[in-house]
Amino acid sequence: MMILRRSLRILADLRLAIVLLLAIALFSISGTVIEQGQSIGYYQSNYPEHPALFGFLTWRVIGLLGLDHVYRTPWFLALLVLLAASLTACSYLRQWPALKTARRWHYYDQPKAFEKLALSAELSSGSLATLAPLLTAKGYTLFQADQQLYARKGLIGKIGPIVVHVSMLLILAGAVWGSLSGFFAQEVIPSGAQRGITNVIDAGPFSASQIPHDWEIKVNRFWIDYTTEGNIDQFYSDLSVVDQEGQERDRQTISVNHPLRHRGVTLYQTNWGIDGVQVRVNNSPIFQLPMAPLKTGSSGRFWGTWVPTKPDMSAGVSLVARDLQGLLLVYGQDGNPIGAVREGTALQLDEDLRLSVVKVIGSTGLQIKADPGVPLVYAGFGLLMVGVVMSYVSHSQIWALQVGDRFFIGGKTNRSHILFERELVSIIESLEPTPAQPDPQPTATVS
Amino acid sequence: MDLITLQQTLNNGSFAVLLITLLLYWSGAAFPNIPYLSSLGTAGMASANLAIAVLLGARWIDAGYFPLSNLYESLFFLAWGVTTMHLVAEAMTRSRLVGVFTAPLAMGITAFAALTLPAEMQQAEPLVPALKSNWLMMHVSVMMLSYATLMVGAVLAIAFLIVTTGQAVTLTGSSYGGGSDRLQRHTATLPKLDSTPTTSGSTTATLPKLETPTPTLLSPQRLTLAATLDNLSYRIIGLGFPLLTIGIIAGAVWANEAWGSYWSWDPKETWALITWLVFAAYLHARITRGWQGRKPAILAASGFIVVWICYLGVNLLGKGLHSYGWFF
Repeated sequence: MMILRRSLRILADLRLAIVLLLAIALFSISGTVIEQGQSIGYYQSNYPEHPALFGFLTWRVIGLLGLDHVYRTPWFLALLVLLAASLTACSYLRQWPALKTARRWHYYDQPKAFEKLALSAELSSGSLATLAPLLTAKGYTLFQADQQLYARKGLIGKIGPIVVHVSMLLILAGAVWGSLSGFFAQEVIPSGAQRGITNVIDAGPFSASQIPHDWEIKVNRFWIDYTTEGNIDQFYSDLSVVDQEGQERDRQTISVNHPLRHRGVTLYQTNWGIDGVQVRVNNSPIFQLPMAPLKTGSSGRFWGTWVPTKPDMSAGVSLVARDLQGLLLVYGQDGNPIGAVREGTALQLDEDLRLSVVKVIGSTGLQIKADPGVPLVYAGFGLLMVGVVMSYVSHSQIWALQVGDRFFIGGKTNRSHILFERELVSIIESLEPTPAQPDPQPTATVS
Repeated sequence: MDLITLQQTLNNGSFAVLLITLLLYWSGAAFPNIPYLSSLGTAGMASANLAIAVLLGARWIDAGYFPLSNLYESLFFLAWGVTTMHLVAEAMTRSRLVGVFTAPLAMGITAFAALTLPAEMQQAEPLVPALKSNWLMMHVSVMMLSYATLMVGAVLAIAFLIVTTGQAVTLTGSSYGGGSDRLQRHTATLPKLDSTPTTSGSTTATLPKLETPTPTLLSPQRLTLAATLDNLSYRIIGLGFPLLTIGIIAGAVWANEAWGSYWSWDPKETWALITWLVFAAYLHARITRGWQGRKPAILAASGFIVVWICYLGVNLLGKGLHSYGWFF
């Protein structure tokens, strides 16, 4: 019991919280500097043993500490768990008692009490009767006895930090629940094809029921809108959700920012490619040839295919496309460009060889996800936003005491010292009998 | 006048105005006896604020979408935020010292946008598909406002560090909980500007002395210049922190609606989290017993660098979802 209390006290220590926050920040930085999720070979060539970066940062160290996947390492997760424990302990041991203390106010019934306050004054004028309306006008809640007054505002600022801490716990809990019960898949589906969700990249241990087995995705059509300058304007996929009987259960055209949701699973438009091209050589039937992405080494994307021009495939031309606008470049056997051909038109390769491009078929890249933790995370987000705004409010308290013809007033606040000082000084000013005329006593004693 | 000429005028004009404003604030601090310098500084800051607002408004009308599509526009939006927060901070303290530190920041940002960026990067660009969303306005504008606010707060923390160099700081205005304890000194009356090494004489000036009690009477113990700067920096950062929180959450919700993941450890969002963590640490350091004064201020001042890395530095990496819409 003693040990539990002591460890709780350590967990609630603000200095631990600060160290934790900064430690998480520091390790997060490492994840933005060291490339994440690359192959061992990558780290071996970029972080060699001799000379070691900064004298210690070799690929072995990176592998040992898990700096290649820092956000998933046990020790990073342990830091987050520790932060959650610290949040809990702090809310329970500090914030809650502090709120209770703030609610349990008391009058100041001795002039001595005012001497402790930086912002306090002893006046020969003023009364509770004149002070009360001034404070009410400034939004204070008043408590009054015969000779004493207590006023406060901004108690909400004491609740705010508790809301922030609770919301942080909700977000962390939602993230954990999501990673345990959610899944994440990617599918590349050519325009016109139908696929089930099979390419699961990541799935939590309790996610089996989330991955759909009783429906598939049909891509009715995929297309790209281009601006007049030829830049991509938007990607669109006309999707159908098809059940085992082949019945369409849902249909929607998705684009970036506009996903399709079906029974807790969401389909996002994330990628695109060129799947194939339909061509004819002279009067041949239409061939559909697959197009493959070409490694270019630059940031531009190209897809290519090879079209045989002789029945024995001893000769042919290469077709290269860079987008779905329908323009294909044609290269000959020797690698020299022959010309360009547009979708729906034909190109004369030589006297008796004509290549017609019927259609360029695009494929859509879908991201498929289910994350049952999202409602919890969103609740945390909502509370967090409310909590941080509440936490901006300063909790201000003002006391007043009448002793004979002496009137004492004083106050304090926890955040907005500048504005509170101005507010209280202006209140004192209006309690003064002649604020405009300074006291004739010399003032040169200061400084 | 057509919108393009107007934009060009305002582009150069806001820089020129801010340069003059900077000189006004600096000479106002160097020669506190010259009367109108600081008021002119305020006027300069306000007109720069207005000029930038009109510039961004013109681009909005011109391009047809919220003007935050490239570095140029975001820099001007940042400068607008900085000048706005300057006006807020100045109104809060009625101190002319604020401009000495915020004016160079606003001027520097505007100079970078107006002078160093090549002309083709100042053009409004069409939005890439991912940015075609109402969330853009929400997420990016709130993020930029939070950067501006946090930068102003951090700059004021730097000001506090400069003002208190070599001093043992006793702050009335920041200790744990109440933090409003009277400093026990000889008499009740204390000068409100004791121990201020600043060149400017009337900086904290809130109100004229309204009473001159005999030493036995209790009178309000006013905040020192250092305490005022400290509290001002805290309040401005306190304003930037909710903005940063809301901005990050807006981005997370947008990402979840658009790509199905509210958090993917993209470098930009990681740095936004780092910024959030650093300022969260600052806010906690302020209420830690025995840590008030320079320690939290050093954290806040280092936050200035963190915000800049988050805003610009990450784009140098050129990775992740946030690399487009920029020039890197």
